[in-house]
Amino acid sequence: MEAMEGIESGKAPVKPDISEKQTLLAVLQFLKKHNLAETESQLKREAKLTDDDVATENSAPSESEVSHALAAYKSDDDPTLYGDIYTDLKAFVDSSLDVHKVELAMVLYPVFVHMYLELVYNGHESTAKSFFEKFSKDQEDYHQTDISKLATVTKPEHMKGNQLMENFKASKFVIRMSRDSYTHLKRHLQDKQLNLLLNIIQEHLFIDVFDGVPRNKQQIQLTCGGILGEAQREANKAKVFYGLLKEPDINVPLEEEEDPGEGDSSDKPKKKKSKKDPLLMKKSKNDPNAPIISRIPLPEIKDMDKIEKINMLRESSKKVKVDKDHPPSICFYTFLNSAHGVTCIDISEDASLISAGFADSGIRVHSIAPGKLRSVKTGLELELIDKDADDVLERMMDDKTGGEFKRLSGHSGPVYSTCFSSDRASMISSSEDGTIRLWSLQTWSNLVCFKGHNYPVWDVKFSPHGHYFASAGHDRTARLWSTDHYQPMRIFAGHLSDVDCLQFHPNSNYIATGSSDRTVRLWDVLNGGCVRIFTGHKSPVHCLGISPDGKYLASSGVDQIINLWDISTGSLVSQMKGHTDTVYSLAFSRDGGVLASGGLDNTVRTWDMNRVVDEMDTDVDASIPSTLQVVDNSNLLLGTYYTKASPVLSLQFTRKNLLLAGGAFVAS
Amino acid sequence: MAAPAKSTPRDAQIMAAILKDMGVLEYEPRIINQMLEFTYRYVTDILDDAKIYSAHANKKTIDVDDVKIAVQCRMDHSFTSPPPRDLLMEIARHKNNQQLPLIKPYTGPRLPPDRYCLSAPNYKLKSTKKPRIQFGLPMKQINQFGSGQRISLANLKTSSSSGNPTLTVVTKAVSQPTVTIISKPASSLPKPTIRVNTGSLGSTSLPKIITQSSSGTSILTPKPTPIQTSLLPTTITPTISLSSAISTPTIITNPLKRKLEDDDYDK
Repeated sequence: MEAMEGIESGKAPVKPDISEKQTLLAVLQFLKKHNLAETESQLKREAKLTDDDVATENSAPSESEVSHALAAYKSDDDPTLYGDIYTDLKAFVDSSLDVHKVELAMVLYPVFVHMYLELVYNGHESTAKSFFEKFSKDQEDYHQTDISKLATVTKPEHMKGNQLMENFKASKFVIRMSRDSYTHLKRHLQDKQLNLLLNIIQEHLFIDVFDGVPRNKQQIQLTCGGILGEAQREANKAKVFYGLLKEPDINVPLEEEEDPGEGDSSDKPKKKKSKKDPLLMKKSKNDPNAPIISRIPLPEIKDMDKIEKINMLRESSKKVKVDKDHPPSICFYTFLNSAHGVTCIDISEDASLISAGFADSGIRVHSIAPGKLRSVKTGLELELIDKDADDVLERMMDDKTGGEFKRLSGHSGPVYSTCFSSDRASMISSSEDGTIRLWSLQTWSNLVCFKGHNYPVWDVKFSPHGHYFASAGHDRTARLWSTDHYQPMRIFAGHLSDVDCLQFHPNSNYIATGSSDRTVRLWDVLNGGCVRIFTGHKSPVHCLGISPDGKYLASSGVDQIINLWDISTGSLVSQMKGHTDTVYSLAFSRDGGVLASGGLDNTVRTWDMNRVVDEMDTDVDASIPSTLQVVDNSNLLLGTYYTKASPVLSLQFTRKNLLLAGGAFVAS
Repeated sequence: MAAPAKSTPRDAQIMAAILKDMGVLEYEPRIINQMLEFTYRYVTDILDDAKIYSAHANKKTIDVDDVKIAVQCRMDHSFTSPPPRDLLMEIARHKNNQQLPLIKPYTGPRLPPDRYCLSAPNYKLKSTKKPRIQFGLPMKQINQFGSGQRISLANLKTSSSSGNPTLTVVTKAVSQPTVTIISKPASSLPKPTIRVNTGSLGSTSLPKIITQSSSGTSILTPKPTPIQTSLLPTTITPTISLSSAISTPTIITNPLKRKLEDDDYDK
């Protein structure tokens, strides 16, 4: 086995080497244990090993048996061994060609972590500590949080409970490297006979080799940062149907076009076709990238939904063009006197309702449209109304119960997320108590309590087509539920740390999740599989946004950089830098021309999506990461809008492209 | 936050140092108190448990092993962590292999079976009046409750062939064992069909037969009759005197007898 090989290599005539010395010491130990004093002294003399070396050997607490004495060289207490190997590797990286240097440098971090873990696992606490202190500063900044968590693990007992350690020990760290660098590294390792290092690399690292030019530092910086490295090529190979679903045919009555005179200056064609929106035009043809409508079961279109759609189209036809020359108007809703209470804000899709979840487990729903919030009449009274009347929906409501806002209580922990359904008849909320509650917005009461996550649920969202909703929690899973089943339909497991945020794709067939393990994943609702992994964030991801045409996914979080990903290829398209603090909300404008973002730095910033799409490199080959080109110029930032002292918790574009934002005033 | 002053107890200074070590640089000053309390409670709990274990093993003093067992037991109870990754993947694989169930069309509000909903009543009223047994109409005590809580919606099913928007409103039948006012034309109780007209009640709105229904029954399935409603009068004052005012005969039926609906449980 390895020990034997070690001895073989030791016998071969080589220059004085670390492993060589180590083998000799191990043999000495073996001889000592078997009381072969003469052989021992002879070996000592011949190998010119001083007594100090032996002494350091003996002081090592090696609990291994005699038969394992030779294998004990791997779990040696000699701090210089691991330290030496690591320094050796560093020197090798520094001495290699510039083209290879950056790629090879990526190996240093996982090797450092695994060496440290091996030292701890074998019980060499002091060695581990000194090793750690010596080399932890060399690692990159974005690894420092993980490294500080590593620092708490000093004994083998600690390793059991620590989730991060389990992740490291169980899964392989993925590095993508070009073939040239890889051969270079392999040759070096084989030359030097560093079995220790070779073992670590073989067991714990997965090097995804690609044929192509080695990447430069900038390209590597873009995609590294995940807890377990980058995504393998295989992970992003599945076909994703990112197109939008075919819309049902609705006859949109267009007779009520008031002021056609205004339309002279606008460039919207005033034809009498039923579909003006370019998005709708595309949908009428068969989009090869769109899922078929029956891919996942969706609720049927009721008459109510048709009316809703007609309203939506009518309002959308009046929408304002928002782009570089036409910045959006922003309406900001501030919650006063509740700064340390508001944990989440959600605005409904038609901009008529706003809800806020609080740290004291309450939820308040306010009306931001002219109407009041009424509840449905009692059963007795409902008996009396004429059900065939046209305005039966109005008569159903009891005006006496109208109010500016409604309070909903039921949770037993801070409410971390709320979401309105698309028909505004219900709302879901998730909380630290691990439950998700479905509220009726007609009776203003709690209908169902979904229990499944036993840990805080960080985010919950309704599907754009209704009936399904998804939740993301601390237990590292995201789940898909439907309102008529008390158990989840799908469990999306795969993240290595809490899932912090979640978004449905506009066609309801895919769900994007962002996590504290610094990756964003795209899951298929049909079979629960992960179809895309996007790495590149250097800190937990807190918000996601998907463009209305379904092609792009934007994500951002604690690292203040907004990354824009192309869903079809899985590659990074653009990075938008500008925020100075964590970003908590993202929203695309209704035509996809502008991306708005807001966060803890009390600003709302708008970014030019049209420019990104124009400047995007369309023939990038995702399998060769070195061809990655990212749209990164500072002209992408269109505007920065400051609030007084209110972090922006929620953003939503109305159907007419007015930007609504919500936040709570924090008086410090 | 500023480091605690030199005069603070040594424990507090140590706690501040620990927080700083772990990278927590900004915190409210009360955190240190909370952390100290937690530490004290945790350690005393562990030591108490360890004492019990060592006594069980007939040892004179607490040993490292006792403490180890105590820690392990407590970890399993209070500080549970989310399930390990492989277990999660296994559960997920199992769940994801099942197909997404088809969605039945036109079923009104889609909610899980009533057992899993929160629509059942969570209280019942006791009558204060001695029931009078008389011939005739089964009359139960009338219940009243705050209007904010009760949900009474009629599940109406207009014929869907109409071009009008279908009105589907949730019915949440809140039915009490003792108090219910439900009008079910197809009531199974052998009651006479005396009806109390709306007009005779005047100010109250107690129009229909008062029949017994059991707790937790919700009447959501469309019945052959065009209207089925479970009505909960919110405006009726609770006293039985009302019933006497109506002057209808009362019959006591067993408030616990329950009429099972077939949509009570999972389909």
